Amino acid sequence: MKKQLLLIAVLWLASSTQLFATELRLALKLPAQAGEYHNPYVAVWIEDTSGKSARTLVLWREGAKWLKDIRRWWRKVGRKDADFVDGITSATRAAGHYKLNFDALDDKGAPLANGNYILRIEVVRENGSRAMLKQPFTLNGKAQQYTLAATSETAKSIFTIKE
Amino acid sequence: MKFKHLLLGAGALLLAAQASAHNRWILPSHFSLSNDKGEWVMVDITASNETFNVDKPMGADRLKITGPDGKSIFLGSSYRGHRKSVVDIHLEKDGTYQLAMGGEPRYFTSYKRKGEDKEQWLRNANKANRKSRLPKGAHDVKTIEGSSSVLTYITLNSPSENFTATNKGLEFMPITHPSDIAQGEAAQFKFLFNGKAQSDVKVEIIREGVRYRNEQKALTLTTDSQGQIDFTLAQAGRYILMAEYEQDVSDYALADTVGGRVFLTFEAVLD
Repeated sequence: MKKQLLLIAVLWLASSTQLFATELRLALKLPAQAGEYHNPYVAVWIEDTSGKSARTLVLWREGAKWLKDIRRWWRKVGRKDADFVDGITSATRAAGHYKLNFDALDDKGAPLANGNYILRIEVVRENGSRAMLKQPFTLNGKAQQYTLAATSETAKSIFTIKE
Repeated sequence: MKFKHLLLGAGALLLAAQASAHNRWILPSHFSLSNDKGEWVMVDITASNETFNVDKPMGADRLKITGPDGKSIFLGSSYRGHRKSVVDIHLEKDGTYQLAMGGEPRYFTSYKRKGEDKEQWLRNANKANRKSRLPKGAHDVKTIEGSSSVLTYITLNSPSENFTATNKGLEFMPITHPSDIAQGEAAQFKFLFNGKAQSDVKVEIIREGVRYRNEQKALTLTTDSQGQIDFTLAQAGRYILMAEYEQDVSDYALADTVGGRVFLTFEAVLD
């Protein structure tokens, strides 16, 4: 009985930390494109200011053969750990508006420390263009919102840090 | 080998001046690949002074491919055309493959005929055996021992760092991994001569597409006292790096000058 109470207390504590943890929200818009359309490959990740990846948030992809085309993400992150890539993968998506929410954790599940980071969004479309979005931000306990200007492969998107 | 180092003569380096010396390069279809089932790459081999348009074929049978585990890889099918040689290579293991040609020392003797001022060249004539091949009264006789290495690196999935030196002649040694060069990011390479870091190696780095611009826009660098060059390429693209070093020696039986050239092909990826 005592053990069970303790377990409940621990679970409650764990869930309450989750409840109050920093959240990263990305409203990503992939615009409809003219001509022959292949779904784009998309990687969204967070780098520290030295260019080292802290967390891969999104990887929409096809077979391994095409991972290299997500150039920066592949060089900095993907090629270093095949098992990790398999763990985060999901299929490509068509043009549309995607609301993506994440806890502000690193790849190992530990909270991202306060400090400076860069959100990177790489979008590559076969027979289309490549876009590399870079949004510097600082985790400092304050809520923030950034508007990511449209590129050849993304429409205006919103990145929000919710504390 | 140990040589007494003499002052290098002024003017063009002998190795480059040597008659009919073309630039040589190996240009793979891909420098960086991802696949869980192995991958094919196709490689062009050519002697050409135009980066990167092919000119003359070069024996693909002499291409040495070293896999990530240090073992040699067998070539797939190859073809020798009039403008280039082509080789198919199947990469199975993850890691970095070195493709290399050359590296062996060759001897060239330059001289002038009696009463003439035009430089003449003898191939495969070293300081010890040149006498019988030189005409009577030949003057300004000079023999150079030089090696040329033609190199590139291809990486399947995770890069590996299996870079070994033979400690003979001029050698390229990566500091920045050749598959980790990107536009706008600082990179460093190193050069060894007979196994030691060599200063004063002349290096030129040229981006592809020379046919379609008026200036070659070569980046010209010289190695520092650690044998290193530091550079940042502003543009993504495929590049040729040409390195050259020579020094005059007084106490060597086979040559008056020793040196080497390295031709390295690599890509700078988009940031």
